[in-house]
Amino acid sequence: MATNKKHSLTGFYWLWFALTVVGVIISIWAPAYLMPQSMSSNMNLTILTMVVFSVAAAPVAAGVYAATAYLLRHNIYRGNSVPPAAEVQTRENARLTIGWVLASTLLTVFLLIWGLGALTVDNGGNESNPLVVNVTGQQWLWSFSYAGTHVESNTLVLPLDREVVFHITSKDVTHGFWIAQMGIQVDANAGAITELHTTPNKLGTFDIRCTQFCGLNHAFMVTQGQVMTTQGFDNWLAAQPQRA
Amino acid sequence: MATNTLTAQHEEHHDGGHHEPPAKVYGRQKMAMWLFIGGDIITMSAMLFTYLYLRGLNTQNHWMSMVGLPVDKVHTYSYYENLSDIPTQHLIHVAPMSPSFNWLVTGVVVVSALIFWAAERNLRKTKNRAAFTWSAVLATLIIVVAAVLSIVQLRHLPQIFVAKNDSHTLSYTAYSSSMMVIIGSALVHFILLAYLGLAMVIRSARGVLTGEKWHHAGLVRLFWVWVAVSGVIVSAITTTVNVH
Amino acid sequence: MTTTLQHAPTKAGGGLARRQNFLTALISGVVFAWLAWYIGRHTLDTTTRSFSDQVAVLTACGWTVGFWFGIGALNGPGRWLTGRDHTRADDLYYAGENQGRARYWKYCTDHKVVGVQYIIMTMVLLGTGGILAMAIRTQLLTPGNHFVDQQVYNGFIAVHGMLMILALIVAVAGPWANFVVPIMIGAHDMAFPRLNALSLWTLVAAAGLLLTTLAVGSLPVGWVVLAPISNQAGVGMDFFAMAIIVFTVSTTVAGINTIATVMTLRTKGMTLSRLPIFVWGSVIAAALGLYAFPYFLTVEAIQILDRTVSTSFFVATGGGAGWLQANLFWLMGHPEVYVILIPAVAALFEIAAVMSRKPVFSYRTAIAGMTGLAGLSILVWAHHMFTTGWAPTLGGPFMLTTELISIPTGLFFLVLLGTLWRGNIWMKLPTLWLFGFVFNFIIAGITGIYLSDIPIDNQLHGTMFVTAHFHYVFVGSVLFGAIAALAFWFPKVSGRYLDETQGKISFWLVFIGVQVTFLAMFTSGLRGMPRRYSSYSMIFEHTNFVTTMGAYMIMAGMLVLLGAVISSWRKGEPSGPNPWQANSLEWLVPTPPPLENFDVLPTIKEDPYNFGGKR
Repeated sequence: MATNKKHSLTGFYWLWFALTVVGVIISIWAPAYLMPQSMSSNMNLTILTMVVFSVAAAPVAAGVYAATAYLLRHNIYRGNSVPPAAEVQTRENARLTIGWVLASTLLTVFLLIWGLGALTVDNGGNESNPLVVNVTGQQWLWSFSYAGTHVESNTLVLPLDREVVFHITSKDVTHGFWIAQMGIQVDANAGAITELHTTPNKLGTFDIRCTQFCGLNHAFMVTQGQVMTTQGFDNWLAAQPQRA
Repeated sequence: MATNTLTAQHEEHHDGGHHEPPAKVYGRQKMAMWLFIGGDIITMSAMLFTYLYLRGLNTQNHWMSMVGLPVDKVHTYSYYENLSDIPTQHLIHVAPMSPSFNWLVTGVVVVSALIFWAAERNLRKTKNRAAFTWSAVLATLIIVVAAVLSIVQLRHLPQIFVAKNDSHTLSYTAYSSSMMVIIGSALVHFILLAYLGLAMVIRSARGVLTGEKWHHAGLVRLFWVWVAVSGVIVSAITTTVNVH
Repeated sequence: MTTTLQHAPTKAGGGLARRQNFLTALISGVVFAWLAWYIGRHTLDTTTRSFSDQVAVLTACGWTVGFWFGIGALNGPGRWLTGRDHTRADDLYYAGENQGRARYWKYCTDHKVVGVQYIIMTMVLLGTGGILAMAIRTQLLTPGNHFVDQQVYNGFIAVHGMLMILALIVAVAGPWANFVVPIMIGAHDMAFPRLNALSLWTLVAAAGLLLTTLAVGSLPVGWVVLAPISNQAGVGMDFFAMAIIVFTVSTTVAGINTIATVMTLRTKGMTLSRLPIFVWGSVIAAALGLYAFPYFLTVEAIQILDRTVSTSFFVATGGGAGWLQANLFWLMGHPEVYVILIPAVAALFEIAAVMSRKPVFSYRTAIAGMTGLAGLSILVWAHHMFTTGWAPTLGGPFMLTTELISIPTGLFFLVLLGTLWRGNIWMKLPTLWLFGFVFNFIIAGITGIYLSDIPIDNQLHGTMFVTAHFHYVFVGSVLFGAIAALAFWFPKVSGRYLDETQGKISFWLVFIGVQVTFLAMFTSGLRGMPRRYSSYSMIFEHTNFVTTMGAYMIMAGMLVLLGAVISSWRKGEPSGPNPWQANSLEWLVPTPPPLENFDVLPTIKEDPYNFGGKR
């Protein structure tokens, strides 16, 4: 059976196109649907970046899958013994190789530029009067103290639309401080202070989960926090017991 | 179709390749030794990385001396959380180990390496077995001295007394820790060299180090010189990147 | 003592090795371990906090030395020391001449025996790791399920990870760089046959230590041996670290041997540009391993020092930092991923060419891709540390190097698809797993790109998304490549085909199982479930249930494969010496290849990819 005849590539291109369209649709829909509801600009940016990268990757994955489908459709040898040598014995195709490298380089450069830009925006934080919260992890709970006050709490309450700076450390082993709805994460290290910025932009509760393995009760090192209006936050702060 | 048939060409020697020319065997074994040294270089880099990392982290404490005190005045220093809790009788005084001690050990190793190198060179040129045997004895004894010296060095690494609430313990600071792994690694190399040196002595005395196997001395020389070189590199870095 | 060696040239070789085998190694290992334990308990200072750790490390050393002694690894160094070198008769004894099956249980220097021993070791490691994976997934079947104790569960996480990593490091390079590569290049054996046996049996010793950790205590460190929490762990941690140290000895020895073999033992006419592509992959991976594993050795050595003599490498109050561990670990850890991946990909290049009856497409691009990947991999380690808080200013540069990785990875697709393109693809088992690899590897690659981007990583790091990503790499890609390689070279090892029907059942179970398991796991991660959880809240209920079902499916598939291997080895369909009609040398020698492979070393005139069609 001569299976290695030159088949038309039209079907391949159509399949590539169709799969790309499907990929793009999934790319646009899935991140926002699957990920936690955004409560900060960082999280908005994360979801947007997920969408952009997925859209950029869709034609690549679609191309590979379409090529695989094409091979499975046209090039499978159905005989029972060893197939004869393929009619085409191509060893090199310089144009294809160079084109392939160029295309993947261009994609990489695009991802990189987007990523570096997003990183700059993500790290941005220049409000003159941010709220400073000192976060301390220990096995297996978080505690939060508000700079400039004597309030120490095991729940995190944040005001809406004001920049927050977290100073994070640990009393024992390494923990991971992560606010799942705000797209920010950094480890809490013993003997060092790490920093995070964010600006909550939505009222409601959020989840703090430990993302660095910290021993027996790692899975239970979870806390809920809340974003309140400025007024509500001030009232809450005033109602807290003052540390001596 | 396939032209790589097995019987097409016959080699000159029909002996299964087990009597290769000694130079070929030497070349192969030398390559393996160089690869081993390559791995050893990475190990050394990892240890120096550790040293330099901890050095960079400890610009104030936990290094050679307390801030403000000259190195030679410090006999012990302590870390404690509750000053008043420290029972003074538990403070132990360990003389600070001078970093130059490293140069002493390295000097000894360099001498042994030079002796062995000269001996091996002489063996290659003159095939004087007796001279080689006695030089190898000398080099091996000197490397044993280096091993003893590095054990002395390990025992005099400054320890600190750590009191934490009701428990206390002796421990090594960052400086002592990174020196310990470096010296310990050197000690392992010295023991290995002592084994190789002893083997050289015995083999030479029994007359095995001749004919096709003279090059074993060359392989040992290669490793011996590398250990001396690594000692120089490590000493240079640990004595210069050191004080404040 | 007088020696009669010189006066008895006809004496049969072997000496002490005649009495040594796996059983004596086990006995000797246990005896030495017990001795070390006993001496430790009676000489060390019992009042220090580190007493039990010191005893544990001594015991582990005792086991290793005892195992080496019992298997015969120390015979060679001992005889070299005393000037009584091996004779030709000794070498032949060590190579297992006329010893039948017994040689598979001995310190055998024949590279083909070592290759088979590696196949068995890989299956043992994968099987044990797989059982632990099933325990982990059963624990996560429903929210708040208590299949195993939480502390035991944490130990399972660490040991599952490390077992699987070790298994995959040796899964392709172990069996095939040993069994096939020396024949491929036209050599009688590896450059250093005794080192070859040493690497295999050292791996066995390491595996013994790793399994001991399961028995002696919990291990809250993950497979990345996290510090400073490692200082809290029980004595299991000492065995864990010692297992890794012993393992690095094994890989270093194996790596040196592979490189020296290919560099110096190629037969006449086997130029570098005529090497089968798998040889290139083996050498590149070996070189990369030689670079990577010394870091592993160092980091585990200092973790042991922290635990046994109270150093402060990772203790903040003494001036140390957990970040030091993370740096050293990932300096090893990222190259190690490609030590695992490259041989599998190279084997697939080989398979693609033979099964589609076409030359490897753009041979030089394939080499460039593998070399580029190896080179880049040593510059990307800190992308594992984006969220640790270490050196935030280095985020940009490490993002750059990491994203560059997609260029050489893209070349792998070019070479694979380019080789298959317009070929006459023979759809046998190796080809099936090859297509599975292509399908999964694109998912692995693309999800990796998300994680290389810092703003996304700040959300997804430390979640199940990462776990799913690297399982697509290791299970979806490397394991598929390893099984393809097994199916491809199985006839050369056993003289029989790996059973097609059972193999196909196994493929579909594993392939669908991988998609179910890890696509659902991606979803858990996107929804916000951190990794290494022993329990989770209701919002992750459905995706975890699906993942566990998929995992059972993978296990079922792997059991079918195990059954296929065992039954085909015993009574599969005979294949003859060259079932795929390939041209590389390993197919041109008889099956099973005789001791020392060739009577006469062949002379090579062209590369093995001429299948006879038009150029």
